[in-house]
Amino acid sequence: MDLVLTPEDIAFRDEVRAFLKENVTDDMRRAGALTAGFLDDPEVAIDFHKVLYEKGWVAPHWPKEYGGTGWTPVQRNIFENECARAGAPSYNGMARQFVGPMLMRYGSQEQKDFFLPRILKGEDHWCQGYSEPGSGSDLASLKTKAESDGDDYIVNGQKIWTTHAHKSNRIFALVRTSSEGKKQAGITFLLMEMETPGITVRPIIGNGGDHEFNEVFFDNVRTPKSGRVGEENQGWEIAKYLLEFERGGAPSAGKVRSRFRKLAAAAKKYCPDDPDMASRIAELGIDIDAMEMLEIKDLSERQMGGNPGPVSSLLKLRWSQIRQETTELMLDVVGADALRWAPERPLYEALQLPREEEELLSLGPRYMNYRAYTILGGTSEIQTTILAKTMLGL
Amino acid sequence: MDLQYDTEHNLLRDSAEKFLAERYGYKTFQEISSSEAGWSPEIWAEIAELGWLGLPFSEEDGGFGGGPVETSLIMEAMGKNLVIEPYLPTVVLAGGVVAALGSAEQKQGILAEVAAGESRLAFAYQDGDTPVTASRQGDDYVLSGTKKAVLGAPMADMLFVSAQEGPNTVVFGMPSKLKGITRRSYRMMDGPRAADIEFNDVTLPAGSRMGDKEDASAEIAFVLDAAIAAVSADAVGAIEAMVAQTVEYTSTRQQFGQPLSKFQVLAHRMVEMKVREEEARASALLATLSLDGAPERRVRAVSGAKAKIGRNARFVHQAAIQTHGAIGTTDELSLGGYAKRLVAYEINFGSTREHLRRYSALIADPEIAGSGLMLDPAAA
Ligand SMILES: Cc1cc2nc3c(=O)[nH]c(=O)nc-3n(C[C@H](O)[C@H](O)[C@H](O)COP(=O)(O)OP(=O)(O)OC[C@H]3O[C@@H](n4cnc5c(N)ncnc54)[C@H](O)[C@@H]3O)c2cc1C
Repeated sequence: MDLVLTPEDIAFRDEVRAFLKENVTDDMRRAGALTAGFLDDPEVAIDFHKVLYEKGWVAPHWPKEYGGTGWTPVQRNIFENECARAGAPSYNGMARQFVGPMLMRYGSQEQKDFFLPRILKGEDHWCQGYSEPGSGSDLASLKTKAESDGDDYIVNGQKIWTTHAHKSNRIFALVRTSSEGKKQAGITFLLMEMETPGITVRPIIGNGGDHEFNEVFFDNVRTPKSGRVGEENQGWEIAKYLLEFERGGAPSAGKVRSRFRKLAAAAKKYCPDDPDMASRIAELGIDIDAMEMLEIKDLSERQMGGNPGPVSSLLKLRWSQIRQETTELMLDVVGADALRWAPERPLYEALQLPREEEELLSLGPRYMNYRAYTILGGTSEIQTTILAKTMLGL
Repeated sequence: MDLQYDTEHNLLRDSAEKFLAERYGYKTFQEISSSEAGWSPEIWAEIAELGWLGLPFSEEDGGFGGGPVETSLIMEAMGKNLVIEPYLPTVVLAGGVVAALGSAEQKQGILAEVAAGESRLAFAYQDGDTPVTASRQGDDYVLSGTKKAVLGAPMADMLFVSAQEGPNTVVFGMPSKLKGITRRSYRMMDGPRAADIEFNDVTLPAGSRMGDKEDASAEIAFVLDAAIAAVSADAVGAIEAMVAQTVEYTSTRQQFGQPLSKFQVLAHRMVEMKVREEEARASALLATLSLDGAPERRVRAVSGAKAKIGRNARFVHQAAIQTHGAIGTTDELSLGGYAKRLVAYEINFGSTREHLRRYSALIADPEIAGSGLMLDPAAA
């Protein structure tokens, strides 16, 4: 066993590096560095997505038959790491990372033929309509109702926390089609167009100052049954399958390391001789090492396009804590300079300062926004409950 | 030893909480913090009317003769109601400096105006890239250098500035709009305003020097410790509000057919939050009651409180958000306002680790480490 890259891997890495050097612009990098939320703005990311598409590199983790790259797990990891290092923006990860693999497993031939190429080309932007005001952790209690009417469903109800609903043209949603039996047994997985009459979006501002999530209201929305994935009332199984990709589908080490690297650089500048800070940063470093090891081992065993399985909860649990701690230590390291606050968003449009000063203004918002990592995609408490079952058999 | 709040304390606390609950709170905080000015002249006039602006100053200086306990009651109510008016910089920091250093004439002139609500002050004590120095030129002083992160400076009518004069540190008071002074104002994460200030050959008459002590370092250290005790009380107010809101929210929010508060992990976490609130309250009181004591006692209590409450504040604001779920990450509840206030508490006036170091240097003496809090009258 070893961790050594082969000469072919090195050649591949160099190719990726050269490609990124050529195609990731300074503006993209700056926008990424000044984005304090979770997702890059599609407006910023779409150009790079198009370049990736031309190159055939949009969906490295998809099987080749669907437009994937056919790369080995090591190559995929190299690619992810290099993208993170280069500050490459990511366009609608939800589509590539969750919707694609979900459709490959559960979609009809027609749905796959229609949606997968559109995702690759960046023609659709997807958002996720799972949570409702009364149904967060207890997702299966959801109430948004779809009633059958000929070839259509009539949808009524409300979703909430719908990230980028205001930037999406499509939504994948869980709707109730039956209230008989177990609550899980009456849920259907439905794809809809956001333009459909009766759908309205209301923004919710996060306490980091960013507008990322929304409420989405459905008022007698008529939507074709052809948007249903799988059978009626089979939605819960599909929903859970997709959640595995949300929690553990994409490697996190590259992104986390690029933040950790900024932390180390800030420590070098702000508190080079502080042994207390140094040991706290070292503790975080060893957490990241262990998780990266776990992650690359897991990925190297995973089939192309295959689902992550129960380890996804473990990955989600730990990476979310690590991400939070990185932002937390950053505030500790930088101190008073990190308390400066610019209320305008997006920062990359509002600010015109020396780059270093601009980045300082993203630290406070990022700390606040990242509190959500242990909540979104299923809270840490819920991941722990799942792990009690799957890892310990309790 | 007497650890009971007396009738007057209780009256002050009740009236402060009642006034602020009616006149301030989350919506007002949001409005004021997103306004251009970042403070409210109307509220300022009202709190002058209530006597808060002269509270800690002696009666002969135009104040009401209160002490650290009275200040802590006001600060706690302000923390609980997310008040961002420049009370701390005006009354506790700059007001404290004037009270500690000023001549009788300076005190009476400046503090009476503060008490009347006619003047806001700021105290610039942290040097920027170029430390501020003062040099004598004939009858005048000339000031040059930079100060950073001066709380309340954008709305201050007068600035008090620490400067090196040879080997000594002294403080000068001056109108904030003066030839050679440039303020670069900004908004802080939790809403208040601050400024970086440049002093470029600012000429001041000799009477601008506060008092006639050769070196003011000890007084400045005292005032900063008093400010820490005050913001610690403020943090206690914010912590209390977050704990109460979390308990209330989880008692009504239902998931899986029962209130969230019935899930044992959450109940245990909220107990931990409450315990930390109690600890924070105790530490803040210890700091408040130690301000007038011997310097080692004061430093131990103040740095101990800053580090202790800093940690607890972090635990509480993170736990409160987590326990609320997604709604805790929005601007729709006041939670975010408190969380940012507590983040700022940790960072301002020295980080947790700086205060741990200050504390640790003191308890390196086993005698001090082993001595309890109750004082021999001889040591008090
Ligand atoms: C930034 C962000 C983006 C999001 N984006 C989307 C999106 O695009 N689409 C979407 O559908 N949803 C999205 N969500 C919603 C997310 O999935 C929910 O927030 C999450 O499932 C938790 O639900 P809740 O917020 O209602 O909290 P609740 O379920 O009310 O939970 C509150 C607290 O109680 C705890 N709790 C609940 N039940 C138990 C239990 N049985 N035992 C112990 N503790 C328990 C929780 O862990 C949490 O700490 C997003 C959330 C955030 C914060």
